[in-house]
Amino acid sequence: MLGKIFESLYVKVFVNIVVKRFSTVVYIETDGKKGLQRSAEEEFEVLELDEKMHDLITAFTKESPYNYVSVLDMSQSQGAVPTCKKNRIEYYTDVEDIEFRCHNNAWAYYTARENLTSIRKKYAAIGVDYIFSPFSILSYFFKDKIDGTLAMYILVQESFLSLAIFENSQLLYAHHLDMMKKEDFDGIHLEDDENDGDLLLGEDDAIDLDDISLDDTEPGELEDFANIEDLDSIEDINEFSENQDIEEELMESTDTLEEADETQFNEDYQRFTLIQGSVGEFYKDPRYESRFVENVYVADAVGVTKEFKKYLEEEMFFNVYVRRTDLALEVCELAKEETGV
Amino acid sequence: MKYSYIKPRKKTPFTQEVQLAITFFSITVIMLASTYLFLLYKDYNFQKDKNRILARQIELKQEIADMKQKIAFVQKQESLGEKIYTQNSVLKDSIENLFDLVPQRITLSEAKLLKNGLILYGITPNKDVYNFMLQAPLRSIFQETYSSFYPAKNGWLHFVSTNYMKDDFSEEVENED
Repeated sequence: MLGKIFESLYVKVFVNIVVKRFSTVVYIETDGKKGLQRSAEEEFEVLELDEKMHDLITAFTKESPYNYVSVLDMSQSQGAVPTCKKNRIEYYTDVEDIEFRCHNNAWAYYTARENLTSIRKKYAAIGVDYIFSPFSILSYFFKDKIDGTLAMYILVQESFLSLAIFENSQLLYAHHLDMMKKEDFDGIHLEDDENDGDLLLGEDDAIDLDDISLDDTEPGELEDFANIEDLDSIEDINEFSENQDIEEELMESTDTLEEADETQFNEDYQRFTLIQGSVGEFYKDPRYESRFVENVYVADAVGVTKEFKKYLEEEMFFNVYVRRTDLALEVCELAKEETGV
Repeated sequence: MKYSYIKPRKKTPFTQEVQLAITFFSITVIMLASTYLFLLYKDYNFQKDKNRILARQIELKQEIADMKQKIAFVQKQESLGEKIYTQNSVLKDSIENLFDLVPQRITLSEAKLLKNGLILYGITPNKDVYNFMLQAPLRSIFQETYSSFYPAKNGWLHFVSTNYMKDDFSEEVENED
């Protein structure tokens, strides 16, 4: 009771840290009784907690004892599984070294214990209150969608892709993909040597997915999509439109998607191939209940290009809806939700 | 813990600054309370001393009153003693004078001193010695003098001389003066 009285006298400070590929974004929000009082966002060209970052954070945290430091877990060894039972989780990953949290008693997200220790150690000078999984962000960001029909949700970050397939709030499949990790990238399902060569993406030999047509493709290349062979005809493709999310389409503004420069093109292609590989795994892996994915919702935290959307739509026949998001803001929202503000 | 892997650190409003302020105010309050309690104790002590002194004062006043009474009594005793001493001195002088009055030939066997009189018993060789040598001075002193004689075995006379002084005689003498 006394604690609540004291708590109401102070503002709440939410410090949200998102580590990108070459920098760290710190977003700080001060919330009082009347909502947002002050906010600040700064990007530091470091990956560790340096003096400037420390000074900025402490300048805010010293305003109130009720300060919450949240960090988005960017580690590679994390994921989500479609069960909450420990003995079932074992089926997907080694449970000995992981820390997992059950979500709505339906599915769980996990990370290696050493990641949590490492994050805590890294920010020991300021302390850490919350460590969030990208899958929490994804499910929270698309909370208005995941309780609907089957769809794939992708959180696009600079170095990672967090991909999850939900149906009626139940996770069917999830994969955390590291763009810097060679194995993930090697896992793309462009199996012929010629296409592997195209990954170099030189000026002359850059891949043009527009040139790839279903007719030209060898049957073996589409073995990942064995379950959708009967959808090859245009008529069948038109059936997709029945499942299109018109509302989301109206909300989406494709104009905001940028034209790709060379670097962005490479990265978006890399993302596309990672997604393609994961979808293939979902369809093939007997551990997952394979269902045909039609709609893809992308939470775009980096600014994907039009080409990225086009690849997914044209090559994988998805209805793709892109929502721009600021990861630091989403982390802040999650921290507020967690704190009960 | 709905979304986070870890629990938030325990938040307390008692930051270092607040703790410092609370410590400062606590010390101040403790000091004020201590001072107040000390003053209460001293006040209680003063009251106690005051009551004790007042009681002692009353006691001393009583003692003084008793002492005064004793002094008055002693003074009365003194004055009475002085009076008695004076009276005794007077009496002694009177007796000395009386015995001076008795001639050597007359022997007194008993003398009674009365308030306003004198009774003498003795033996005289004869009436004349008595009349001239003892009765004459007695008559000059007393207004009424009666003498009676009866013979002794050796031929002398026993006598009884009764002498009275009238009560108002001295007053009359004084009035005349």
